[in-house]
Amino acid sequence: MNQHSPQPDAHERVIELRLPSKLGYERVAMDMASSVARRMGFAPERIDSLKTAISEAVTNAIEHGNEYDAAVKVVVLLTARDDELIVSVADQGRKPLDQKCMVTTPSIEEALQRDDKGGWGIWLIRELMDEVEFTTAPSGGNQIRMVIHLE
Amino acid sequence: MMLEDELTVSTRERDGVAIIDLVGDVTTFAEEKINSAYREVTRRNARHILLNFRQNDYINSAGIAILIGIVTEVNRHQQKLAVSGLSPHFQKIFRMVGLAQYAEIYSDEEKALESFRQ
Repeated sequence: MNQHSPQPDAHERVIELRLPSKLGYERVAMDMASSVARRMGFAPERIDSLKTAISEAVTNAIEHGNEYDAAVKVVVLLTARDDELIVSVADQGRKPLDQKCMVTTPSIEEALQRDDKGGWGIWLIRELMDEVEFTTAPSGGNQIRMVIHLE
Repeated sequence: MMLEDELTVSTRERDGVAIIDLVGDVTTFAEEKINSAYREVTRRNARHILLNFRQNDYINSAGIAILIGIVTEVNRHQQKLAVSGLSPHFQKIFRMVGLAQYAEIYSDEEKALESFRQ
């Protein structure tokens, strides 16, 4: 091995997807993640959780981070390792991710009183994935990095 | 390429229960269809309403927000709401969100109708 140019981990496979910021394209990310996770040996109920989490992350990026501008892309990276699948979803950061939703648990009692009954997406991701991190993407936008472990 | 609207909504009545069949995906594009089906059965004085899901591979947080809106209306009109036909994954999500406190979850239509009879 040449020490000066780091080789990719032999047990790591990276797949990149660039999606137009238009609602509906999150389905393509769901299908891709589902396909990869199935081949890695994840149980069906874990794949369902992954599909929900990735759809919420991509939808959030389309709606808020990229404000439905189909010309800019949502970048989804899937990194498959022997024992885990890492999914990162990055946008252009036109709107920053709501800080509050990264830590709070929404309540249906409150939602019933409000006009806006939404705000469940990021919480669902936090509940369904094994690890979730909110960072800044290389593009300067929002990035959600989530990990699901192969048991 | 079909990426957006993949939901068919229809209404029928069985044993005095207004059944709203939701076949397909429940996302932001479902809002008008679901709300108008609800308004239609309410106009016909439905007291018991069953949301009967089928082939729902994809229900997202926008879809959940629409259903919370239905719960608000159901409470306001003092109706009774139940849901049936959800996959185990979406049954879990409905429980996590708290929708199960406002709409009993049944595995299928028959079990839901039985509960309304009691």
